[in-house]
Amino acid sequence: MIEVRGLTKLYGSLVAVEDLSFAVAPGEVLGLVGPNGAGKTTTLRSLVGIIRPTRGTIRIGASDMERDAVGAKRQLAFMPDEPRLFDYLTVEEHLRFTARLYGVRDAEVRIPALLRELELGEKTGALPEELSRGMKQKLAIACGLLHEPAVLLFDEPLTGLDPAGMRRMKQTIVERARQGAAVILSSHLLHLVEEVCTRVLVINRGRLVAIGTIAEIVASRPDLQGRGLEEIFLALTGGGT
Amino acid sequence: MIDAALYLAGRSLVNGLRRRLRRLRQPKYMIGFAVGLLYYYAFFLRPRGGGQSSAASLPGAAAEVVAMLGLAVLILTGWLFGSSRSPLVYTPAETHFLFTAPLTRRQVLDFKLLRSQLALGLSSLLSVLLFSGGHFPATRILRVLGLWLVFASLQMHSAVTALVRQSLEEHGVTAVRRRLGAFVIVAAIVGAAALTLRAQFGIVQDAFVEGPVAGFDTLAAVLHRGLLGVVTWPLAALVGPAVSRDLATFAARLPAALLVLGVHYVWLIRSSIAFEEVAVESAERMATRIAAWRSGRRPPPIAGPAKPTRRALTRLRETGSPARAIAWKNIQAEWRGSGVRLPVIIVIGLIVVAWVASMGEEAGSGLFVLAVLFLVFGGLAIVFGPYGLRNDLRSDLQLWDLLKTYPLRGADLVAGEVLGPVTVLTAIAWGCLLGAFTLSLMIDVNDFPVADRVAALLAVAIATPAALAVTTTIQNAAVLFFPAWITLGPARATGIEMIGQRLVTMVGSAVVLVVALIPAAVVGAVAVAIAGVTGITGVWLAVPGAIAVAVTLVFEVIMAFAWLGRVFERSDPATEIGGTG
Repeated sequence: MIEVRGLTKLYGSLVAVEDLSFAVAPGEVLGLVGPNGAGKTTTLRSLVGIIRPTRGTIRIGASDMERDAVGAKRQLAFMPDEPRLFDYLTVEEHLRFTARLYGVRDAEVRIPALLRELELGEKTGALPEELSRGMKQKLAIACGLLHEPAVLLFDEPLTGLDPAGMRRMKQTIVERARQGAAVILSSHLLHLVEEVCTRVLVINRGRLVAIGTIAEIVASRPDLQGRGLEEIFLALTGGGT
Repeated sequence: MIDAALYLAGRSLVNGLRRRLRRLRQPKYMIGFAVGLLYYYAFFLRPRGGGQSSAASLPGAAAEVVAMLGLAVLILTGWLFGSSRSPLVYTPAETHFLFTAPLTRRQVLDFKLLRSQLALGLSSLLSVLLFSGGHFPATRILRVLGLWLVFASLQMHSAVTALVRQSLEEHGVTAVRRRLGAFVIVAAIVGAAALTLRAQFGIVQDAFVEGPVAGFDTLAAVLHRGLLGVVTWPLAALVGPAVSRDLATFAARLPAALLVLGVHYVWLIRSSIAFEEVAVESAERMATRIAAWRSGRRPPPIAGPAKPTRRALTRLRETGSPARAIAWKNIQAEWRGSGVRLPVIIVIGLIVVAWVASMGEEAGSGLFVLAVLFLVFGGLAIVFGPYGLRNDLRSDLQLWDLLKTYPLRGADLVAGEVLGPVTVLTAIAWGCLLGAFTLSLMIDVNDFPVADRVAALLAVAIATPAALAVTTTIQNAAVLFFPAWITLGPARATGIEMIGQRLVTMVGSAVVLVVALIPAAVVGAVAVAIAGVTGITGVWLAVPGAIAVAVTLVFEVIMAFAWLGRVFERSDPATEIGGTG
């Protein structure tokens, strides 16, 4: 579903991401982890077409992001860590606007259903400033799910959520994967990665350090045997002592 | 695509208006709205004698020449001194929704261009209303349309400039080399234009001697001829519809203006190689600033990538007066927050003005003009500085909660906050005064002897910090008493009601300033009278007068610090600026 080959992004002489290759199959949740400045956000932004890679290819389904960006983007949804909403569009208007951008034909049916599912039914006429942080997050998710994307990318999805919101968010991620979506989840919360992800990609200084299930990563590094994910992460990224 | 953009613009407009109307239920917004409406009526709509203002009554050729020159200056300074920040800044929401949506890059750009036209149309309308003298015949619509064409083309031109700069930056071309390259090209164009003008200078001069109408007609004719005509054609084509006086002329000039607009559009589309990076970077900076404002932190500067932090002007000792520490913090904020572009432009401007003035017949005229300019800058710093430099309570009350936790007397805190900008402005004003005085020593000013100049310098220098302290204290008192009426931090709220609130605050501050100056003026006059009795004469009388004024003002300021300190200590941040929980 997601196929990345030789992804490289340079900012002048600064190497943000270098020669990154991986794939995510339908139903899989790939955890993208790495220390600050490792290149996670650059990778995610390249995947969703916000920035253009310097080199390499990104395929979303059958579409190449460089040659057929529109086709690729039609299949994906990106949930940033901070919900980015229009100040003067109401909850329902955000969904209608999104429907127009993605050409969702049965939006009239989907919008009320999504609003009910995400418990936003009583806030349809509210502007973002009238919503709590959690409500804004839900609205951003609703906009992302409206066109039923086959690929979902989450950047720190639990930021600012209360415990109930965190549980719902984790359920949403897992359910969408079960329904066949390919999911990439970038987070510093290793327990979240351990709980939700089927595989982990560790990135450091723009380079891929390890990829696979935790068992596979440990198998490739016998010295990590018996250690927790936090210790494994620190050992892989050189953050431990 | 177009329907999505129109949907967003339309719904945002309606919801924004609804929100503003709901807000008018609060008296502070209602009063502000009423004052704002009066302001708009007085400046834009009130019928004035003569039918139209002097600007609008310029003869056709004059209007065209002035508009062309204005446009040329804007474009040239944009290439020379502009930043890589595009005027087409995407909001974080636009970046998230549009860049990840199944849209082509051109559609994303079209979306932004289309959305910005509403603001440009409004700017055109207000510009025409401002010079309409309250009369708005149907033909003025043509001027609005013409101005809209100019604004839209300028917007695209600025966007192209920013993209080119960004592209050069990405290719490792340094700022100095970029500006040098732009300078060489601009110098070549200006040089070619100057050569053509020089050849025709006598004809133009004679025409202006004959009268302004003939002068501008001749100048316009020269601008349209030869090499100069080729260089200025796009400018003339663009301003053509805006300066047309009837429908027929407008229609005849419209195709050329549309051609210039179209060329800019194509240029922008073709220049947008680095488009995503520029847009995303701008959106990121905006998001960071918004997050910083909302969390009560000072946002990073919006222009350009992160720059190395300047070293502190002075080192703060670990022990000593807390008020001085706060003043030191505010001085560092001014120092580190100020850019180098404005001072560089001012210095270049001063050199050019002095050089032009020195070409006059009278010896030392360049230095004289420079000295006058120093005095003007010093005066501006004293009069307007306290309104411009806001690194005091106007900035720090964003951190009201934090300030309340400091183990400080309120009076000390207020004093520290006020002394920061006062110190900076005093340094600027004294620098200007000293500059003017030094220059005056190099020229022959017979009717103002050196001794008198020394007296004047001393008097103004003594009164300056006290005057600045009073004005700055009033501004800080305003924000402490009426925090809801003053914008905290660098953000500027918009809307008729906010303009009205600013006007009310401004008038209130002016009244308080006058009241504060009256006792000082009286004491100063008494001091001058006493000094006169003791034998002091002439300009030297100003020195004891200034000392008396300064002492009185300082006394007032100290009293104000004590009072404002108590107000601060009794204040409740949750009720003043709202809680955060």
